[in-house]
Amino acid sequence: MLAELRTSKLSPQKYYELYMKTFDELRMLEVFFREETKRGCTNAYLYELVQHAGNILPRLYLLCTVGSVYIKSKDAPAKEVLKDLVEMCRGIQHPIRGLFLRSYLSQISKDKLPDAASEFEGEGGTVVDAVEFVIQNFTEMNKLWVRMQHQGPAREKEKREKERSELRDLVGKNLHVLSQLEGVDLGMYRDMVLPRVLEQVVNCKDELAQYYLMDCIIQVFPDEYHLQTLETLLGACAQLQPTVDVKTVMSQLMERLSNYAASTPQVLADFLQVEAFSKLSEAVVKVIEAQPDMPLVGAVSLHVSLLTFTLRVHVDRLDYVDQVLGACVKKLEGVGKVKDSKATKQIIALLSAPLEKYNNVVTVLTLTNYPKVMEHLDYGTNKVMAVVIIQSIMKNGTFIMEADKVEALFELLKEIIQDSDGAPTLDELDEEDFMEEQNLVARLVQMLTNKDNDEMFKILLTARKHFLKGGPKRLGYTLPPLVFSALKLVRLLQQQGENSEAEEGAASSQKVFQFLLQTVEALSAVPAPELALRLYLQCAEAANDSDLEPVAYEFFTQAFVLYEEEIADSKAQVTAIHLIIGTLQRMNVFGVENRDTLTHKATGYSAKLLKKPDQCRAVYACSHLFWVEVEGGVRDGERVLLCLKRALRIANAAQQMASVTKGSGGPVTLFVEILNKYLYYFEHGNQHITNSVIQGLIELIVTELQSENTTQDPMVDAFLASTLRYIRFQKQKGDGVAERYAAIEV
Amino acid sequence: MATRKRTLLKVIILGDSGVGKTSLMNQYVNKKFSNQYKATIGADFLTKEVQVEDRLVTMQIWDTAGQERFQSLGVAFYRGADCCVLVYDVNVMKSFENLDNWRNEFLIQANPSDRENFPFVVLGNKVDIDGGNSRVVAEKKAKGWCTSKGNIPYFETSAKEDLNVEAAFQCIAKNALKNETEEEIYLPDTIDVNNGGSQSKSTCEC
Ligand SMILES: Nc1nc2c(ncn2[C@@H]2O[C@H](COP(=O)(O)OP(=O)(O)OP(=O)(O)O)[C@@H](O)[C@H]2O)c(=O)[nH]1
Ligand SMILES: [Mg+2]
Repeated sequence: MLAELRTSKLSPQKYYELYMKTFDELRMLEVFFREETKRGCTNAYLYELVQHAGNILPRLYLLCTVGSVYIKSKDAPAKEVLKDLVEMCRGIQHPIRGLFLRSYLSQISKDKLPDAASEFEGEGGTVVDAVEFVIQNFTEMNKLWVRMQHQGPAREKEKREKERSELRDLVGKNLHVLSQLEGVDLGMYRDMVLPRVLEQVVNCKDELAQYYLMDCIIQVFPDEYHLQTLETLLGACAQLQPTVDVKTVMSQLMERLSNYAASTPQVLADFLQVEAFSKLSEAVVKVIEAQPDMPLVGAVSLHVSLLTFTLRVHVDRLDYVDQVLGACVKKLEGVGKVKDSKATKQIIALLSAPLEKYNNVVTVLTLTNYPKVMEHLDYGTNKVMAVVIIQSIMKNGTFIMEADKVEALFELLKEIIQDSDGAPTLDELDEEDFMEEQNLVARLVQMLTNKDNDEMFKILLTARKHFLKGGPKRLGYTLPPLVFSALKLVRLLQQQGENSEAEEGAASSQKVFQFLLQTVEALSAVPAPELALRLYLQCAEAANDSDLEPVAYEFFTQAFVLYEEEIADSKAQVTAIHLIIGTLQRMNVFGVENRDTLTHKATGYSAKLLKKPDQCRAVYACSHLFWVEVEGGVRDGERVLLCLKRALRIANAAQQMASVTKGSGGPVTLFVEILNKYLYYFEHGNQHITNSVIQGLIELIVTELQSENTTQDPMVDAFLASTLRYIRFQKQKGDGVAERYAAIEV
Repeated sequence: MATRKRTLLKVIILGDSGVGKTSLMNQYVNKKFSNQYKATIGADFLTKEVQVEDRLVTMQIWDTAGQERFQSLGVAFYRGADCCVLVYDVNVMKSFENLDNWRNEFLIQANPSDRENFPFVVLGNKVDIDGGNSRVVAEKKAKGWCTSKGNIPYFETSAKEDLNVEAAFQCIAKNALKNETEEEIYLPDTIDVNNGGSQSKSTCEC
């Protein structure tokens, strides 16, 4: 079986299987040898004897096996036997065979090294001998392993590299053995083990070996050793071949160290003491310099690793975090917008990490280099990042409470808030995406808030300054929430009582209304006249509540101008008119003159609507402008009656038109509606609405309904019936109302 | 000529990186524990003599690398295993979820003759951490899994505090022993070191 190990035909994995079988056999042989020595055969003799085996490979396996027994027996010092064995193994220079033979040596000797506190220490040697032995075996194995790539035809290089990769653990195992030695304390590791191992790693100049062995060193030795030898370890990183994936090596180191800090908080002091952060930062720069061909993605992801480390270990050191971002900006200098998609992904990772860590945009806004990194994202990705930022704000409920923070935030979000150079035109953008983004921006506005009114006003000004750069398509989304925000401020100012001697820059109702006027005006110019009209009316109401007549009047005037000049669609006009009437009715700030002007206009518009039924309804609604059921409200019964009469006339006209055309019963319902208005005023004590007027109207309706021109409409019938039922009900009530109703007959 | 019976039990420890495979083995064999993490590379064993009922057996305990990238040569050492120990960390859900993978992988690669009855033992390690407050895998859940896989014996252990480690390995040894095939070892009175090898030195390829 030992002879079979001489084959050159097996792949490493197959060879390993064979090795395992042989290994089992050799265990038994070892037992046999031990038995032999008990029967009087000396170890030295056996050691001599097996050297007569004909073939060198079986001979060396036997020798190692006997050597193991020899050491165990302590007939000879462990260090001597080990030294002999490791030297003898030089006889095998075939890589695979040599590697397995040496790993056999390593395996059988592992528990027989003259390690500190081991039974073989003392006469057997010291831990230094143990280390020497393992490092020598390691060095020889690494040489065999590295050399393997040059053996055989060039066309089989790929296969050979795969085989080499499979063999790697045989070499790495030695490092594991070193790490298990009890006698290797920090001092010995720092002064002897690490430098010797690194020397071998750096000097072998082999990409595969360097990458793998660095990985091993990092994984196999404990954290505190790494922390105390950072400089040496990082120094080696910068000396690796330019093709080695050093960023992965370093990020694994940083990950280990940050896990360490996270699991053992008391070691933070050590991190500070050895200046881990600055050493790592410097190493990142050096490694990037040393590898001029490193693709951008590599450089950026190194910074991502460093940032991750910083955020985990030094979460409260925003200056460190900013420093890492700054270093990355430096690396990106002259690159402009990053086009490579992998590098872009890493930049996103870099920008997302602080957001995720702090869950607070305001903290992130203090990082001066943050926007500079973001600058390097191309248009589309920049917007994606902006969306991520807004989502973070919404998710965490982060309020942005200072104007300068708003400024900084909007600077970050500028690609979705405004059009920059090089951005595609709005027509080129996907409509739905655009809407979604702008809605998100709209929702963001509610998070810009401060209880201090002056600061809040500044926030509004800042936000508007940025929004106004967004062009007409965005304004429809961004300005309305700003208007509502300003209205809220106005209400607060009103509640808290006006600060009479408002200083420069301080908020006052006047100023905020001025702001509102300009903002809504900007919206009307978009043009979004219907929206603007609505907002003007809201503002007017707010001005009313703040007792500012001229301001309220101004808003109404603006609303009317819009109505006259911009709202052409008849349906939109109807909606607008009813809004105007409703708002105007609620106003109590106006003096007679202003009120008359506005009411007059509103009634005028009503009567000019396109369709008769719309006219009619708007006109009877106008009656409420002369009769307001609140303390001190107008009660001009005569003009109410005039309005209602006018509505009746229009209803009549509508009825005539309808019967001429196709005999629809539609307009009759208008009469019933007007009847209900009559009843309302009748009940509320308008003396101009008499029972005879009502009686007349009821009769008129009944006649109309029976007229042959009118088609049956069960809805109208039902409406009338319920109105009449209401009258009857009121008559039966035993109070003042019933008295008034008494005269009406139904 | 002498013939002698000797019992060698081969035990393989599997599980995710960091669950404490090496620590359990070191605690059991050497009575040592370290807080430091030193990754295992490849596979390696320690031996320990154990008394199972009235028999003295040698247990060869194979510790393996949980990190896949440190297992480059494959798993030829699964061959001839008498028992497989699956370890997870009760504080890490993923390490528990991966038990399924480790078990399947073992059955495929080791290909034992009686798959259904091959002995496994499951250890839920690190129960000491944070007084058990940070555990995420409930004992009930782990036991449920073990039952569903053919009543695998289950132990909750701490390599750090040497909790249940001895008991677990006793059980492992017992189950391995049920599975073991006794090996007849032929022990010759003399050895011929050239036997089996090529007699001619000139053909040596080394
Ligand atoms: N608190 C505690 N820590 C433990 C316990 N067992 C292991 N550890 C720690 O967990 C870490 C990993 O332990 P190892 O035994 O190296 O883990 P492993 O499963 O061999 O890992 P790999 O070799 O990578 O597969 C070490 O830092 C140990 O100190 C335990 O029972 N309790
Ligand atoms: Mg391990």
